[in-house]
Amino acid sequence: MKVSLSWLKDYVNIEMDVQDLASALTMAGLEVESVTNTFGYLDNVVVGRIVEISPHPDAEKLKLCRVDAGNSTVQVVCGAPNIAENILAPLALPGTLFPDGSTLQTCYIRGQASEGMLCSKRELELGDDKSGVMVLSGAPETGTRISVALSLSDFVLEIGLTPNRSDCLSVLGIAREIAAIQKQKIKYPVKQQPDRNNDIQKYTSVRIEAPDHCPRYAAALVTDITVSESPFWLRKRLMSIGQRPINNIVDITNFVMMECGQPLHAFDFNLLAENRIVVRTAEKGETFVTLDQKERILDPEMLMICDGEKPVAIAGVMGGLNSEIANSTKRVLIESAYFNPLSIRKTSKKLGLSTEASYRFERGIDPLGTVNALVRAALLMTEIGNGKFTGGVIDENPLVHDVVPIKLSISQTGRLLGIEMERENIKSCLESIEFDVENTDADTLKVTPPSFRVDITRSVDLMEEAARLYGYNNIPTTMPFIHAETIPPLKTLVLRDKIKNIMTGLSFMEAINYSFINESSCDRLRLLSNHTKRKLLYILNPINDEQRVMRTSLIPGLLETMRRNLSQQVRNLKLFEIGNIFLSRGQETLPEEVEMVAGLWTGDRYNSAWYAKDAGCDFYDIKGIVEGLISGLNINNIRFTKMPFELCCYTKQGYTAQVTIEDMPIGLVGEIHPDVLRNFDLKQRAFIFELNCNTILDLTNRAKTSKLLPKYPYTTRDITVIISKDIEAMSILEKLNSYGEKLIENTQLFDIFEGDSVPPGKKSVSVRIVYRSAEKTLEDNEVNGIHITITNRLLREFDASLSA
Amino acid sequence: MENTIDQICTEALREIETAKSKDSLNSISVKYLGRKGIVTQFLRNISKLPPGERPKAGEKANEIKKFLEKAFEDTANRLYSQSLEAHDFIDVSLPGRSALPGSLHPITRITREICDIFIRMGFDIAEGPEIESDYYNFEALNIPKYHPARDMQDTFYVSDNIVLRTHTSPVQVRVMEKCKPPVKVIAPGKVYRSDSDITHTPMFHQVEGLMVGENISFGNLKGILTNFVHLMFDEKTRLRFRPSFFPFTEPSAEVDMLCVMCRGNGCRICSQTGWIEVLGAGMVHPAVFENVGYDTTKITGFAFGIGVERITMLKYGIDDTRKFFENDLRFLRQF
Ligand SMILES: [Zn+2]
Repeated sequence: MKVSLSWLKDYVNIEMDVQDLASALTMAGLEVESVTNTFGYLDNVVVGRIVEISPHPDAEKLKLCRVDAGNSTVQVVCGAPNIAENILAPLALPGTLFPDGSTLQTCYIRGQASEGMLCSKRELELGDDKSGVMVLSGAPETGTRISVALSLSDFVLEIGLTPNRSDCLSVLGIAREIAAIQKQKIKYPVKQQPDRNNDIQKYTSVRIEAPDHCPRYAAALVTDITVSESPFWLRKRLMSIGQRPINNIVDITNFVMMECGQPLHAFDFNLLAENRIVVRTAEKGETFVTLDQKERILDPEMLMICDGEKPVAIAGVMGGLNSEIANSTKRVLIESAYFNPLSIRKTSKKLGLSTEASYRFERGIDPLGTVNALVRAALLMTEIGNGKFTGGVIDENPLVHDVVPIKLSISQTGRLLGIEMERENIKSCLESIEFDVENTDADTLKVTPPSFRVDITRSVDLMEEAARLYGYNNIPTTMPFIHAETIPPLKTLVLRDKIKNIMTGLSFMEAINYSFINESSCDRLRLLSNHTKRKLLYILNPINDEQRVMRTSLIPGLLETMRRNLSQQVRNLKLFEIGNIFLSRGQETLPEEVEMVAGLWTGDRYNSAWYAKDAGCDFYDIKGIVEGLISGLNINNIRFTKMPFELCCYTKQGYTAQVTIEDMPIGLVGEIHPDVLRNFDLKQRAFIFELNCNTILDLTNRAKTSKLLPKYPYTTRDITVIISKDIEAMSILEKLNSYGEKLIENTQLFDIFEGDSVPPGKKSVSVRIVYRSAEKTLEDNEVNGIHITITNRLLREFDASLSA
Repeated sequence: MENTIDQICTEALREIETAKSKDSLNSISVKYLGRKGIVTQFLRNISKLPPGERPKAGEKANEIKKFLEKAFEDTANRLYSQSLEAHDFIDVSLPGRSALPGSLHPITRITREICDIFIRMGFDIAEGPEIESDYYNFEALNIPKYHPARDMQDTFYVSDNIVLRTHTSPVQVRVMEKCKPPVKVIAPGKVYRSDSDITHTPMFHQVEGLMVGENISFGNLKGILTNFVHLMFDEKTRLRFRPSFFPFTEPSAEVDMLCVMCRGNGCRICSQTGWIEVLGAGMVHPAVFENVGYDTTKITGFAFGIGVERITMLKYGIDDTRKFFENDLRFLRQF
């Protein structure tokens, strides 16, 4: 909402400096977003003196003027009839931005340079006169800014109104707030009563067929008008707040709307069939051409203003081309109605058409303000448009507006705000904004808000008004007394924090990617058509295609991050992200939200260090991270098994492991498939893991108990077996552990070897077994016996042989 | 006697010169400076001199003792640097072999900082889904369908009744539905709005706060938030509470803090106003309490919402919100 200081001053005395006014309004809840100098466009216009006039060599009607501009003398080509030597006139210098949008530049007019322009009042929007240059009286110094010479000063305040304050969508509304701040009374424009005679009834009628949509409709008739350009003062008022003047009739309706917040519409009465108004809802599929020359398709929920035959306006939104005010218009029917806010909002949303009128109607205008605004506009038309105000107005008021008084408890107000507010204090705050306050009993006030405060419906609304005008900053800052009782911390949060701490300890950087991805990511990840990660949830109104669906995996985000970093020449990355994925259960229900943690390692194993040769990271690097993470979470029994080839999609077959804990699959670890790298435009191998935190959470809720430390020494025995290459080395350890030999404390792989002495298709695997007893120091022969039994069993079961 | 000490000195220096190893140097040192060494003996004998000569002789002898000590030390150093051990060293300037730690995302850091402050004040933490029903995101918060207040937030829709939550406020409702008052809870999380420019990203982070009980007042809201800002920034940070509007609180306030960059003089960061908006807050609207079945005659409470990106930008001097989600390693590494 824009409002100019000079316009405000029509209704309220303002003694404050404009910056103080802006901050006072802001602190009263009307946030002033900017204050701009109305005459800023005149910054390059100075006082000039015409020193010498000579004829233009190639144009009879033009003259060459040498103009003293203070610091310099410039040549100006000018055709104004009233120029004379030694007169003072406004001189616009190159760079001036005129109110009509054009910028002045040095130019050549019929071969003669014109280094400026001598301006008329009209050209500078300082008055109506366009007959010649504006002659300045007095003796201002040449070169002085014209705004200084003429003492022009005005400011426009742009106010960011919150949606509840529809009463401030007018200059009077803002003025009311200023009056309250200054503890003054506002000067309303004189309220005039329409003529007692009711001649209007002879000429026209209004029938409301949809009272729910239109609780009130008032109309007035002005005849014998002359449509023309508005006078300067009116144009200036509208232009100061960014409204484009059109003609006197339309400008008056806009002016009154801006003044008091009541949207008006003017119809060319002669174009209304049967000279009457019918207010009804549209018919299905009906079309209508609005003032902006667009054809609109209507539906039965939209309210239309019609004449005896056809629609002439979309109620509260925009008028029709078929009844527009034209230069030939002689008789005008002015509409001033109260439309149902919800009805107008629905219509405006459906049509995607928001106007100054619809904006006000949908937020709720003053239900009692229709006739006042109507008369104000009609009288202005008689003044400015030379019209005749046909006696009386039509005021179809099928629904009566009730103003219900609200009870306000003084003690409860104090309790909510945390300050003992005196009765008189509350009263004066509320009365300053025209609320009617009555004492009822010791603790209660009966408050009737004015009709324009449609946002005030319950006592808490009054408390807010009292607090707002009392000043939030005058309410003391206190600490609450609260119950100390607490609840256990959220397990999801504890786990998430732990994972983040472990991952950063493992030298990974945390990334946060958008929760939405490109729909094509599924194809780029090579997901099978029935993959669960294809259960996409679509956003109906995405900003762009990159953000059309909710992510079902964290991997696309990490790959995109990798691509962005590679393009910045950062090629060694260790990244992780923890966040939700969204698996659709249909667009009409909430999706399944699953928290996942994913990691990506690409580039070198070490950041080109002096102690290590450059070597790319590999599967075992990322697998080590997963092992570190899981063990950091105090979870045992993690297993990595080969992911069946047919289940690998974005990871490479043969280089992917499924991660399980106690037979529960929790995710995967592997190398990104070369096709996927290509799909994401990546030219570097990458290794990832992706684990389900919800499943991990179920596994972490185990109590830890401490075990006794061993007292007796251990002894070790090694076995090296030759087995088929297909057998996973870890299965040997698993087998050893499955024998249930109590003296085996631990087993570990310490060498894997293929080639040379090992026959083709085979590999040599070396295992170390750690034996220990809890009761005694083990004897060699005892261990040897057990070890030979185990070795033989192992050889048999794996069809293996001992190495030579 | 004076001659003697000079002679001893000359002799000692000559012997030091001949020392070829640490050991031989040591035995020479013992010979002169040891407990029974020549110089030591000489010093003891000074007491036998006539009293008049003692101070001068003592001074001179001590001087020579110091001089010889220095000579032994220098020779020891010279011998050491010629020995093999001296060639056994490493370049300690080389970087260590330990892995560099990773880093938490700045948003995570600041979210933790915010939560920690409120946890110390006695708040619990709650979470809720990121995709919400229209009911929890709007209706239950006193924002009916077609209410102009819906224009305050550009909403991403999944369907007519399912939205990407536009704020963390739905968690308020979910918590109050489950728990009886008193309630004191904060809810950090991701939120979404269809808005994208230098100061807006379609996804961002909020921390919601809610405190409900008997006699919780607007003054208390000011107290808690002032305490928070002082801990988050510094004790001297001035705050102002300015009337505003949120459908689910009343009275509603916008909280500005004095610009951290210009201390109120006006700069680019605060758009010349001297103040920076850091959070929105207010007393929970009775309509919200009614929706969760709380007794509005007994219960009052306040709620607030903190924009994590905003706080992070101010804390770290970041000027473009989009940087948060580009995850440029050079950016992440700074935190
Ligand atoms: Zn500043």
